[in-house]
Amino acid sequence: MDKTVATRAPLAPFLGLAASGLDRADLPRILRALPFGVAVLDQERRTLFLNSALERLTGYESAEVAGVPCRHVLRGSFCMHHCPPLACAKAGRAVCEAESREGTLINRHRRLVHVRLTSVPVLDREGGLLCTLDVIEDLSALKELEARLTRTAGPGAIVGRCSAMEHLLRILPAVAASDATVLLTGESGTGKDLLAEALHRASPRARESFVRVNATPMPEALLDMELFGQAGCGPDANAPRPGKFQLAQNGTIYLSEIADMPLAQQGRLLRLLDEKAVTPAGGERPMRLNVRVVAATGRDPEALVKAGLLRDDLFHRLNAVRLHLPPVRERGEDVQFLLTYFLGIYAAKFRKQMLGFTPEALSLLSAYDYPGNVRELRNLVEYAVMVCPGDMIGVDHLPPHVRYQQPGQAPQAEPAAEAARAKHARRR
Amino acid sequence: MAKKILVTLYRDEVAPRFDLASEVLLVTVDAEGGEVRRQELVLAHASADDLCDLILDREVAVVITGGMEDEHYHYLRWKRLDVLDGVAGLAEDALARHLRGELESGDILFPRGRHE
Repeated sequence: MDKTVATRAPLAPFLGLAASGLDRADLPRILRALPFGVAVLDQERRTLFLNSALERLTGYESAEVAGVPCRHVLRGSFCMHHCPPLACAKAGRAVCEAESREGTLINRHRRLVHVRLTSVPVLDREGGLLCTLDVIEDLSALKELEARLTRTAGPGAIVGRCSAMEHLLRILPAVAASDATVLLTGESGTGKDLLAEALHRASPRARESFVRVNATPMPEALLDMELFGQAGCGPDANAPRPGKFQLAQNGTIYLSEIADMPLAQQGRLLRLLDEKAVTPAGGERPMRLNVRVVAATGRDPEALVKAGLLRDDLFHRLNAVRLHLPPVRERGEDVQFLLTYFLGIYAAKFRKQMLGFTPEALSLLSAYDYPGNVRELRNLVEYAVMVCPGDMIGVDHLPPHVRYQQPGQAPQAEPAAEAARAKHARRR
Repeated sequence: MAKKILVTLYRDEVAPRFDLASEVLLVTVDAEGGEVRRQELVLAHASADDLCDLILDREVAVVITGGMEDEHYHYLRWKRLDVLDGVAGLAEDALARHLRGELESGDILFPRGRHE
């Protein structure tokens, strides 16, 4: 069978290209070049065309499944019970909106593949359905990474479903796999420490050390020794003391608040990043280092540079890859997801049967700003589960500063809530 | 000797996926291939593991189904069943074709190439 003829002919009329000026022969070529799977389906969801990526994913060649109902080609988990066009038909709509859903497919080689399907109806000028484009993204790598990242399910796992977190989780595999220096930004409580650990765990250095450095203010000489080691110290002058960088050899070092590091040490860090070697205090010979650096700051790094708290050259060196963790108030739909997630965790921890939140409590919790971000949200749920005697968390089980946030309910808000709001307002 | 053939169902088709099938057709045929008994079973829920248990409990000899994970395929093969997976088509067509000795794994029985 001539595959080109078999697949080229049906597409143009279905996609209404006659008046577009686009050579219809170009369409299969364009679709084939796309890096994600595309299936073109007729009005009855029979297969017209599979592009190369989808051929690889399903194991079927486009020509051999022409005319076959898509559910027998894609074999998606969404095909048998939640097929979007069938759901539309049941709802009495002839044409449904573009819709995405995640699921799995089983390919010809009996392999289960995690995918995201987006069904895009292609309409004519009168709004009639010409065909449907099913776009299928292979999520295997993402799911594998998610599984690794959330391996330690519990209060310390990275979770999130909002678009910002989804984007973050999507690019993490590539960032983790690279050896690039990473700068993590985000307010306090957003999960920078967890993300740094996750980056290490998902990296080729995962079996080596992960060393966290909190450059709290301390005498510079002491910090120097703490970070870069000492050639010999104490009564036994031959016993060198390794610094954090030496301890992280072949692994990852995480500098939790880079701007807390004095400028002199920032300069040494810059040299270390450039030369990949460090000379311990009191030593003469530099020591080769193979360490990946992940740095974080809870403040705006550009502002830190302007304020002279962060060296400009170091900032640009660290900023090779920058990952920003959004505050909870910008995570939209994630709030309810996080509430439910932590409810499950703490219900299990305290051995309670919890059904959920009352609508009033959920409304208050959804409206709250969470200046302490995920850390505060997590603690808040822990508190609520602890004090709730029943199986539904109500308004009475929430901390006062959350209960009294609603206008009109708390003319005399508690000092803690006031302080939190004021702090939040200042930060804004 | 009679043998039992199980076809996973989705409406009147072979179910596209073994693990998501919630109905099955169980047909008993005699040594000549004549149909002796036919049952349609509605399962409590779709589960590949439960379906494997059912298949073994009912002493099924042949399974006809759509897409199937490697693990379940090899499990049933290890239990000495004939597994014809990856079959796409109407259930009755698939069954008839099997009884004629013409059905193989991966067969697509729907009309194809209708737009060429």
